[in-house]
Amino acid sequence: MSLRRPPRGEYIETDTGNKVARKATLVGTQNIMLGGKTVIQPEVMIRGDLVRTIQASSQSGATPNSTAVAIGRYCFLSRGCCLRPPGRLYKGAFTYMPLRMGDHVFVGPGSVVQAASIGSHVHIGAKVVIGEFAIIKDYVRILDGTVVPPNMVIPNFSIVAGQPARLIGEVPEGGHEAFELRDLYKTVGNNPQPAPS
Amino acid sequence: MAAITPYTYIQCPCSDSSTLGRSSDTNSSRADGADDDDDRTFDPRAPRSNYSLYPLEYLLYCEDCHQIRCPRCVAEEIVTYYCPNCLFEVPSSNLKSEGNRCTRSCFQCPICIGPLAVTSVETKPDPSLLAAPDNTAAPQSGPYALTCSYCNWSSTEVGIKFDKPNGIHAQLSKLRNGGTARLTAKERKERRRDPSYRSSAATEQGDGRSGSDEKLDLETQFANLKSFYQSQLADPNASDGGLAALSDLGFSSPTSLSRIMSIYTGGSLHDKKAKLRVGAIREALEVDEGLQLADLDESAAIAQLHSEGHDGTASTSRLSDQPPNFGEAHLHGRSRFVSELRPIPYLLRTKRSKRCPVCRHIISKPEAKVQTTRFRIRLVAGSYIPSIAIRPLSLSSGSGTSASGSAGIPGALLEPLKPAHYLLTFTNPIFESIKVTLGAPAKTPGRFASKVTVLCPEFEIDANTDVWDEALKDPSGAGELRDRERERERRRHKGEEGGNVSNNNNQLEVGKIWERGRNWVSIVVEVVPAWLRLEHGTEEQRLREDEDLLEIPMFVRVEWEAEAVGDEVGAVVGRDKEAREKRELAYWCVLGLGRIRH
Ligand SMILES: [Zn+2]
Ligand SMILES: [Zn+2]
Ligand SMILES: [Zn+2]
Ligand SMILES: [Zn+2]
Repeated sequence: MSLRRPPRGEYIETDTGNKVARKATLVGTQNIMLGGKTVIQPEVMIRGDLVRTIQASSQSGATPNSTAVAIGRYCFLSRGCCLRPPGRLYKGAFTYMPLRMGDHVFVGPGSVVQAASIGSHVHIGAKVVIGEFAIIKDYVRILDGTVVPPNMVIPNFSIVAGQPARLIGEVPEGGHEAFELRDLYKTVGNNPQPAPS
Repeated sequence: MAAITPYTYIQCPCSDSSTLGRSSDTNSSRADGADDDDDRTFDPRAPRSNYSLYPLEYLLYCEDCHQIRCPRCVAEEIVTYYCPNCLFEVPSSNLKSEGNRCTRSCFQCPICIGPLAVTSVETKPDPSLLAAPDNTAAPQSGPYALTCSYCNWSSTEVGIKFDKPNGIHAQLSKLRNGGTARLTAKERKERRRDPSYRSSAATEQGDGRSGSDEKLDLETQFANLKSFYQSQLADPNASDGGLAALSDLGFSSPTSLSRIMSIYTGGSLHDKKAKLRVGAIREALEVDEGLQLADLDESAAIAQLHSEGHDGTASTSRLSDQPPNFGEAHLHGRSRFVSELRPIPYLLRTKRSKRCPVCRHIISKPEAKVQTTRFRIRLVAGSYIPSIAIRPLSLSSGSGTSASGSAGIPGALLEPLKPAHYLLTFTNPIFESIKVTLGAPAKTPGRFASKVTVLCPEFEIDANTDVWDEALKDPSGAGELRDRERERERRRHKGEEGGNVSNNNNQLEVGKIWERGRNWVSIVVEVVPAWLRLEHGTEEQRLREDEDLLEIPMFVRVEWEAEAVGDEVGAVVGRDKEAREKRELAYWCVLGLGRIRH
């Protein structure tokens, strides 16, 4: 290698393999859980400060859960996207609720996500808006520019597009492997590797 | 013109015209034999091709027939019905009684198809209130309405409010637009039996009109008509008005035969009884019998059209989204205005298993539970046939970087008459090494023929050995990959020095593969895009749709040796365990490279 590694990389690489761009904005990091091997590109914003203010009654006594955003393994947050916990009135008072995301979730550049939950193996395209409390299940593909209305439920293996989002197809049996983000993970960071041909 | 990323579509054998048993294609106008396949060039532009080409992900594979199967030819069987909104499974027994829509509280907006949420009418529809994934957040006091969280439509706009926040489907089925009650089937039956109802209905109208002017809703009219015809069928002696007993239509009945005979013999059989029966069928004459005069007075609709204009009318797509028989309108008074549309109960979705159309074996079967994504059987073509990835290859041709720029950038337009190179990477998914033979016409079909040269049409790909074996053998596999990348870069530079790429040893050489990996091989295809110029005086002076798209038809033949399956029909020869049998799979595919500048 002729090129010497720059002393300060573009990314901070954590022990669990997360690659967080120095130019990403993570607010309230103590409330943001990363499962590991997740890539957060520059100009991404995660609003961990929007933590729930009212605990569910079932949890009284237990230590209060202050997670605002929970992200699984091998997620990829593209440049300029925003994760924001949804909020609503709960027993007369306004509170935010956690945003949960499974494994192998790709969020395209410039997208805004305010879902209550996103499953695993989900591809969210560029400039997508996901409304508050939307529930997105597994193996779902959301095409570029889609607006998912608040509260919408998108079942497994759906392909949705449009404003508002409409089911336009189903993920075929042979299309499951395309959601894997292990290879994409390797292509970014301070020592990026070329994508396999 | 929108740039495209290169793609590969594969043709399923089910659309092969030689197996269809008729030759309507111009391509196969001669008598087709099985061995003619190789000579016939597949035309991706043929109208039939639209329905036979699929990306690899959409194809399945039958292990018994050793053939590709596509969404068009597989036989589907429904495993589970479920609501896409509440994700509850609907037992198939409920489908018969309840129909194919969710009967819980799942509704779509009739205007924008967004999901509707139950909100309290009293409080102003606040967006944060619409969020009600659980009942704790549901509004506390009624009445309630369905509200769209996307376009803010509310069911109050059609005068529909609910007393309770749950069981919306049942409540809605009893409500007309405007909030008046709608009769249930039971109530209708009771009212029909009750003679006092009719008189009271007449007095309600106030003007003393009776009978045929009475308004019936669609369900009542149907019920009345049905009972009227049934009573006629049940009464064989009804001879007033020359009523023909429809029960005689039963083909097993002897009177039916005699009646038909009397028609054809002109009554020469002198069957008086039959003659009596042949006559006009009486139609419903009263409201009780289901008569409903068409309301031809459309002045109200015309006035509404005047005031609301075209924007106030419902589009055909919105009307088709409306559930059938759900509204109150008659066939001759269908809702035509946006202001009459009702909430749409969600259509159910299904999980389906798929069978091979030839041998009937199941080739895909999801687990029945709604929430699981697992499959019991999932034989996808991608595990059996090689995938083909296409990448533009930029070769510096000595005249500077600009010359190679066209093909180097993915999605860039192809320059007419300027040779461009593409790298095709074949990846072998099976655990045997395979031999691949490619066949492509020298010129693409169509009005504008681009020249195509496959530099290495025959090669072998190593078996798909276990990835972990490979990783253990070579711990710095990734580093090696980077080295290779640099090596490739070096070779490119050498090519530049040589001036003419095709003369360079390290560069494009006919019959040599470009690069080889564990279970993949890259080869180069050279294309000379056509000149998309139409001569003046030709009938059509404009390009047809997608005529600028450079698509190469390619015939792929894959051969390999596999362990013989003893119990298989036709494999009687190789009975011993060590026997290997030759397998072969051949199919057409289309390589979409890009658009040609014009
Ligand atoms: Zn097929
Ligand atoms: Zn439902
Ligand atoms: Zn709406
Ligand atoms: Zn079969």
